[in-house]
Amino acid sequence: MEDAVRTADWSTDGRLATADDAALVAACAQRKPGAFQELLSRYRRPAITLAYQMLGDLEDAEDVAQEAFVRVFQAIPRFRGQAAFSTWLYRIVTNLCLGNRRRRRATVELEAVREPSAPDSPSQQVTEVLLTRQVLEAMPPELRAILLLRDQEGLSYTEIAEALRLPLGTVRSRLSKARMAFRQIWNELSGAGDEVS
Amino acid sequence: MTCRLYEEQLSSYLDGELPRARAMRLEAHLKTCPHCQVELEAMGGIATRLRAASNALQVSHDFDRRVLRAFGYYQVTGWTKPTKSYLRPLVYLALLLLGLLAGVWHYFTKPFEPPPIWQPQPAVPVVAPAAPSAPIPVAPDRESQRSER
Repeated sequence: MEDAVRTADWSTDGRLATADDAALVAACAQRKPGAFQELLSRYRRPAITLAYQMLGDLEDAEDVAQEAFVRVFQAIPRFRGQAAFSTWLYRIVTNLCLGNRRRRRATVELEAVREPSAPDSPSQQVTEVLLTRQVLEAMPPELRAILLLRDQEGLSYTEIAEALRLPLGTVRSRLSKARMAFRQIWNELSGAGDEVS
Repeated sequence: MTCRLYEEQLSSYLDGELPRARAMRLEAHLKTCPHCQVELEAMGGIATRLRAASNALQVSHDFDRRVLRAFGYYQVTGWTKPTKSYLRPLVYLALLLLGLLAGVWHYFTKPFEPPPIWQPQPAVPVVAPAAPSAPIPVAPDRESQRSER
């Protein structure tokens, strides 16, 4: 992999788009132009989305994601690859969000939510998006984090354990609690007996 | 086992993380319990809802630039943005126009100096060939003076 990184002309050919994360991280460690941008393009949206779902504010979310990327890029020369790059990034984003003490607005920012382009009942979809945001707001941050890492970002239990530095059994039980909490709060906010389906 | 205990296993079952023996017991229970079936289906719908909410998000278009600048990317990599190919002819054209404008400006702003009027140059006097010179008078010598007397 090192040879491939050394010989690749990262800034001009199409290998950036096809390189795996580990190769990109190695290229970043060698300060190859273009490698940082490729990592950004791959993980920009997941990082911001995770932060937004954690914090409920797009501006704060972008600030947190920016801070996370800067930390990651600065530490890349020391990254040993014991965990996946994504797991590493999500851990930093999650920790920054959990450590974020700023008072956040309880209401959902309407301007941050784009109306979905699906042809059928867009208003209902917007309503569900807003309700989802409110449910996440009402959840304890630790449960919210584990739920987002699993159900939004699609991390495995092992990756979640690495990202949150929790035992695997704790991940399993906490995720179960998080899903039940989501269900319960959803039912409360959307009306008794209205099921999440 | 009550539904409550089964509910705690639904999450792991949904992700395929439940040991085989317990998964089989749960499946047997699900066949007879509509409540747990609804719970399982609802848990499966959470991921869909979360992803729908995240898809609705609009990210700032200049996020990458802000990150790279905060990181000090341009200093770290020594990378300079390549000039776009279509800009080069425009730059040359702009320089050419600039040169033309400078020339025109210089032409119209320099102090007016009328061109010198043409005047015929005085003809160079023709040097006439030297006329045969008169004999140089010679002082009469004494003998000739005597003879004249």
